[in-house]
Amino acid sequence: MNSAAHIVYVFHLLVILAGGLVATRAVQKDRALVGLITAMFGVAGMYLLMNAPYLALMQLMIYAGAVGVLIFFAVMFTRPAQGQEERGRYLKRPLMAVAAGLLPAATLAAGAFLFIRQAKAQAPEIPVVQLGAGLLGRYALAFELISVVLFAAMAGGVLLGFERRRRR
Amino acid sequence: MSDLFLFHLAGLLLLGLGFYGLARRRSLVGMLIALELLLNGAGLSVAASCQLGGGDPVAGQLTSLLIMGLAAAEATLVVAIILVVTLRAGDSNIDSVSELKG
Repeated sequence: MNSAAHIVYVFHLLVILAGGLVATRAVQKDRALVGLITAMFGVAGMYLLMNAPYLALMQLMIYAGAVGVLIFFAVMFTRPAQGQEERGRYLKRPLMAVAAGLLPAATLAAGAFLFIRQAKAQAPEIPVVQLGAGLLGRYALAFELISVVLFAAMAGGVLLGFERRRRR
Repeated sequence: MSDLFLFHLAGLLLLGLGFYGLARRRSLVGMLIALELLLNGAGLSVAASCQLGGGDPVAGQLTSLLIMGLAAAEATLVVAIILVVTLRAGDSNIDSVSELKG
């Protein structure tokens, strides 16, 4: 990356950090969701920086679009009257949460710093045709399996939603 | 510091924030949001490893896509679970579903 790309990288990193902090610390769930979507936009920027524009597009469509709307539905189902759902005795233990986040991340970062010896200076840009050929050729089974998993999850979701109504 | 390490740092930042959120949040929706952060970090690290490391870039991008698909499936199921827990227990706080009857 050249120096301009480094500046863009730092910008996206700050977007991820700010969005992630809002997502994990906001009291209101809808604000946390906005933080999550902001962090997803930062990750899409990271994909663009590593020469993967198709992944960046999918990141925006799947994560920021589909998953964001799904979580928004969950927020609507569970909206509390006062919006104070996260206040409680557990918030008196923030140090444990910080340790839970910091320890694995710091350990893995130290490992990456020690063991990453060689890396390409420029990431190759893969044409979408090549990705499509991979999905329908060598990785066709994985592609089909993920659609089965999605179908099973959605069917399970619908069944779980109907269960309560049947009992009434 | 190589570019690969920088991208891994971003992925690890998401991992740390995800674990922090999982440990801090007490509502299922908050935990789901933290889990999505975790999976975002995993996808970013896999893609970076194959784009800038020695791996196959096509495999890396497709693995990252599969992680996105898994995250969508997991979010669908968790939203259904949240719906059921909210209908049964009145709220989506994990304290209200951590005790057994009897």
